[in-house]
Amino acid sequence: MANASKARAPFAPWDRREIAGAFSVEETARRAGHYKWTEMKLFEALGGWIATVPELDVKMRLGTHCYKHAWHAELWHKRLPELREMNPDRLTLPANDAMVRFIDAMTEPESPDQTIEKLVGVYRVLIPRFIAAYTYHMNNTSEITDMPTIRTIKFILQDEFDDLRDGEMLLQSLIDSPEEAERAAAHQARLEKIMVEAGGITGPGSIGFN
Amino acid sequence: MRKFMPADELARDERFSQTTQRDRMADARTTVVLNGDQNRRSNNRLTPERNDASEAARALMHGIFVGEIQALEGAGRTCWDFTTGEEAPFALKLDMARQAWDEARHVEISCKLGDWMGAEIGQYVENTVLFEAACSNDPVLRLAGVNRALEGLAIDVFTTMKEFGEIAGDPYLEFCEDWMLADEVTHVKMGSDWLRKVTENDPERRKKALEFQNIVDKMFSYGGSRSESDESSLGIARRFRELAGFTDSEVDYVAEVSMQALNERKAQIAERQAAAAANK
Repeated sequence: MANASKARAPFAPWDRREIAGAFSVEETARRAGHYKWTEMKLFEALGGWIATVPELDVKMRLGTHCYKHAWHAELWHKRLPELREMNPDRLTLPANDAMVRFIDAMTEPESPDQTIEKLVGVYRVLIPRFIAAYTYHMNNTSEITDMPTIRTIKFILQDEFDDLRDGEMLLQSLIDSPEEAERAAAHQARLEKIMVEAGGITGPGSIGFN
Repeated sequence: MRKFMPADELARDERFSQTTQRDRMADARTTVVLNGDQNRRSNNRLTPERNDASEAARALMHGIFVGEIQALEGAGRTCWDFTTGEEAPFALKLDMARQAWDEARHVEISCKLGDWMGAEIGQYVENTVLFEAACSNDPVLRLAGVNRALEGLAIDVFTTMKEFGEIAGDPYLEFCEDWMLADEVTHVKMGSDWLRKVTENDPERRKKALEFQNIVDKMFSYGGSRSESDESSLGIARRFRELAGFTDSEVDYVAEVSMQALNERKAQIAERQAAAAANK
């Protein structure tokens, strides 16, 4: 057995984590507030849509996904006070007005024959933006000082990837004519334009580009 | 998407047909059988000894299935219908989202169980009474109606179904009902806790919520199909209700209104039978 009192390096040879990170405490809190606001809007919309979709399998998936996004919102709500924001509601905000318009447009479809539009908004526009923003954040924040945020994002990203796959498979099973494919693409383009204007979940710079 | 959705707009596929509680109760054909009617049975409790046990269990399972769909829809609508902070606390909405997930699993479980028992989706009519209780524009009333009354009924139903599975030697049914029962106790407790918390400094609102719960409890007594009498197919699960935060007097109240509903229904049937006999 090795000598227990022998000096060892604090970081093992395989531990290559760096202290440097792209975000200050304030910037991390700002982003966390935008994540929380958007996750909240998403879980509320998914919950509301459950009663409006006739497809039983979609109905059940929306119920499951509704909770996952509520849990994500809760994780950010709990992270905010750890980032010196003792009033989490103060930073629970949309990134900008375009983001508010995006959520309004995404939650507009209501009638039972608009399941495709409902799913397109969530699974082809918003969730890919979440995956991008979270990935950028996770890969650019300090792996030592901000490890709690990284851990939170890792849990959330697992859900986002699972839900993206679920949503995309539901969409592929629902879109079965050229007209429906066009409907889906047109709605996606409409929402994507607003999202481009918003600059992503946390506004311009969501994935590093301004 | 607008706030607040009426029960007659619930989205369903072509297999489903719906009815309201009012129409169901106006139907002269009844599931409650009078004790004096010796041609049929004197005990209505769902047990494997009943000649129609398989059919009754299938019908009840289908009722559970559509009830779970409506509970899922109701929990989801509570996430959407109320503004966070101003109308409903953030934590309450998180609980409702959690409940939506639980109810989604219950729909999945009851689909599998229905299939296992030989029922098909849409084989029986769907009564929308459960969602109607989830339409209040006050979140506290909604919690009282849904989490305390509706989920309380679910505790009674699942306990009956679990016992049925146990006696009939169906471990698959018993296993599933036991898991759903655990979730329902959690949901009722959630409702009890939020009711207490949100109305802590508002006795008038609490009173209104409890009155609403009593109304819904009476509606859910289903014309006597749930009570402590053997004439009802469902019993009242006192132990699990206590676990979920009901006081003894609250359980006594549910027992009392259920018995009243049974007696009212019996009187109605007797009246109709007398009228039919007079017309012969």
